[in-house]
Amino acid sequence: MTIAIDIKVNGEQYRVELEPQTTLLELLRDSLRLTGTKEGCGLGECGACVVLVQGRPVNSCLMLAADANGCDVVTIEGLTMNGALHPLQQSFVDEGAIQCGFCTPAMVLSAKALLDRNPEPVEEEIKEALSGVLCRCGSYNKIIRAVQSAAERTRQSV
Amino acid sequence: MKTGHVGRSVPRLDALDKVTGSALYGFDIELPGMFYGATLRSPCSHAKIIHVDISEAIKAPGVRAVITGKDFPFTFGGSIKDQPFLAIDKVRYIGEPVAAVAAETEAEAQDAVERIRVTYEDLPAVFDPREAAGEDAPLLHPDLGEYTRFGPYDVVPGTNICTIRRYKHGNVEKGFSDADEVFEDEFSAHSVSHSTIETHCAAARYEPVSGEFTIWSSNDRPHRAIRELANAVGIPINHIRLIVPYVGGSFGGKSTLVAEAIAIALARFTKGRPVKATFSREEELTATQSRVAAWMKIKTGVTKSGVLTARKAEVFWDNGAYASYAPGVALRGGLTVFGPYRIPNLELDSRLVYTNKMIAGAYRGYGTTQVTWACESQMDMIAHKLGLDPLEFRLGNGYVENDRYINGQVLRDVGLKETLEKASREIGWGSGRKRISASRFRGKGIATTIKGTVTPTESFCIIRLNNDASITLLMSSAEIGGGQKTVLAQIAADTIGVPIESISVQNPDTFVTPYDHAVASSRTTYHMGNAVRSASQQLREKILQVAATLLGLDCNRLSLAEGKVFEEGKGERMHLDALMSKRFGGKGGEILAEGYYTSAGSPLLAAYSGLEGMSSIFWMYGTHAAEVEVDVETGIVKVLKIAAAHDLGRAINPMTCEQQIEGAVVMGLSNTLFEEFILAGGRVLNDTLSDYKLATARDVPDIVPIIVETRHTEGPFGAKGLGEPAAAATAPAIANAIYEAVGVRIKDLPITPEKLLAALKRKKVAN
Repeated sequence: MTIAIDIKVNGEQYRVELEPQTTLLELLRDSLRLTGTKEGCGLGECGACVVLVQGRPVNSCLMLAADANGCDVVTIEGLTMNGALHPLQQSFVDEGAIQCGFCTPAMVLSAKALLDRNPEPVEEEIKEALSGVLCRCGSYNKIIRAVQSAAERTRQSV
Repeated sequence: MKTGHVGRSVPRLDALDKVTGSALYGFDIELPGMFYGATLRSPCSHAKIIHVDISEAIKAPGVRAVITGKDFPFTFGGSIKDQPFLAIDKVRYIGEPVAAVAAETEAEAQDAVERIRVTYEDLPAVFDPREAAGEDAPLLHPDLGEYTRFGPYDVVPGTNICTIRRYKHGNVEKGFSDADEVFEDEFSAHSVSHSTIETHCAAARYEPVSGEFTIWSSNDRPHRAIRELANAVGIPINHIRLIVPYVGGSFGGKSTLVAEAIAIALARFTKGRPVKATFSREEELTATQSRVAAWMKIKTGVTKSGVLTARKAEVFWDNGAYASYAPGVALRGGLTVFGPYRIPNLELDSRLVYTNKMIAGAYRGYGTTQVTWACESQMDMIAHKLGLDPLEFRLGNGYVENDRYINGQVLRDVGLKETLEKASREIGWGSGRKRISASRFRGKGIATTIKGTVTPTESFCIIRLNNDASITLLMSSAEIGGGQKTVLAQIAADTIGVPIESISVQNPDTFVTPYDHAVASSRTTYHMGNAVRSASQQLREKILQVAATLLGLDCNRLSLAEGKVFEEGKGERMHLDALMSKRFGGKGGEILAEGYYTSAGSPLLAAYSGLEGMSSIFWMYGTHAAEVEVDVETGIVKVLKIAAAHDLGRAINPMTCEQQIEGAVVMGLSNTLFEEFILAGGRVLNDTLSDYKLATARDVPDIVPIIVETRHTEGPFGAKGLGEPAAAATAPAIANAIYEAVGVRIKDLPITPEKLLAALKRKKVAN
């Protein structure tokens, strides 16, 4: 049995037929071939699969694609506008917040969700917002600085 | 020569791919017609395989192949050829692969695995290396003496001792009698997981006609991995192509055939269709590899004024069921137990012992983290007992320029003292214990470390100047996260005299990119950096010769900078792209240069006769100073700050150096305070990241990376290495700070609240 869902991903509207047990992660990676979203455990523990659903960070390995019916989803591929990096992406590059990079998409998106609702977070709020994503390379301090610098950059440009 | 890129924090070449999600990792590989692999793993620690019934599995939907060790009856190993691809006749740890399935989907493969029935006959098992070393212990490898060995590993046939290393210098008994005090302590450093966020994964294709294998995998040493495979199955190296996409972290964990072994064995039976094996997090935590756990007895003699007179050390290393790269840990890692100190009389007995547990192998630091834990904890205990300042005690005994290493190698470019001084200054050394509240106390601690690099080893590279003046660097140092591509491009750009933007650094492909030993042992910047430097110098000379011919000038009057040829006294004469089109006309062509570096034969390796093998082409020194806050009611340790000073020779890219230092501090802190396998016999009970806790953004202290540059005489632009030593000093620095804060000494890692509370209670009772 398959079901049909309507889902907006990175601004594009899709109608997808899928098995009811398909996760959002499987839909993104296997059907839409958006492989920037990673998987590190499949159990909602490492956060590598974080995407934004209605602007909120979600472990896409734990969410059924069917539950995202009618939702607006943003993945890392949706952050670049007309070839230009999002200020967060630029800050991650400039501040050296990237090592192996496997957690980078999830970190960037978790930070985006934070800055969208709280443009001037204090350090503790940034740590809290990023604490669902594991970085084994241990780039945390540089990632925190990158988020601070993106917030700063966005404030100045407003 | 203008050096525009070296020494600058050039943004990483891989950053754009990674921040946009377009970077392809081993995990992302999808191939046409690909099957998915799944593995049936042993539920027994040690057992004979009596019968494997695959009849139900082979009939299951979507299944193409079901195989056991009998179908692919080969063994492999990076150090000792002791490990089957799939268990043959016997299993030696819980989690060992017994059978594997290739099916159309991952779910179908998993479903078929559950239909395989195996009958085992249990054998007695042994889990503690100290017991396993005994004569009556159950034997894991009765044929140990007959296995092929790929290094000077002294096995003891008829026992579980996989490697034994003894080293003596001077006379320890005399040294102890010269001492005013002799300290004898036991320490242990536990097994920890690499826990890369990208789990092990590999895709393999076997071409039935030519007999060639193509493998796509996240692996940090592709050329040695294919040699392992070639040695195992008896085919030439040019029949094995290993392609390494981006690697989602390694830390030593992706150094041998892990997921590769399953994918390769299955691919042999799928008639040319590729098979991909992706490990689950549970497999990652229970059935890959771990750090080699160590039990260390250290006896150290010292005079009242704080001069070390002798040290005797006995180390037992837990190998797990197969050797992997642990024999090197026991060999080279064991020697680091003497620390960066002048000790005239030494004795080491280091034994690596097989046990019925998950395989232990290479892990960031390669043995150094374990022995540094023991050495630096005891150094602190000695200083406190003798009433010496732990910093002064270390400075007084620590290596300085032209001291001799324990094998007689003369040490040059020794930045140890500077790391001690800078790290301690940054932490505010000497301000002592502070009481913050009724239950919270603060203290500071330092620990220092020395680490060499595997010597001698080789690196090769090829640089292509393409027809349009763009440059392609071909080499096999995988980008595992350390910034390898960027640092090597910086070295090439400055040596050739071109902008870094013109250089593309390719990912490894063993059919195309030449041999490199490994991205391991903190060796890449130095070794591959030297190979790249050599190729770049050749390319520069070739370019200038072409320019001289085209311009009708003497080559000596010409120079190359930022991609342009300059004539002495005249200025700019020609762009590189113009040079290439003039040289080759409209038809196209390229200029090639090859680079090679080996540390073999360097005069720097000279040592006492017969002991040159213990020399290292460079030595790295590092000191970590930590400030912690301990709550004596909860036993919880909060690390407030770590200042980490590292002598890395020269920072080619200060930003990537900071990344290595900060990252290793976080890993060290996580290993020390949070991570521990909970074992029931040989079974790992905590097989999820909820139960095996890694440090998060909320656990990270203020980290101050401090770069010390001593400029190595043979290193590229003076560089040595970095990635591993920064992992070693964190644990003892934290333990030493805890001691200052609350006066208790934890000798067995990890440092948990339970252990601290128990120690505090014992101290209270004793008082």
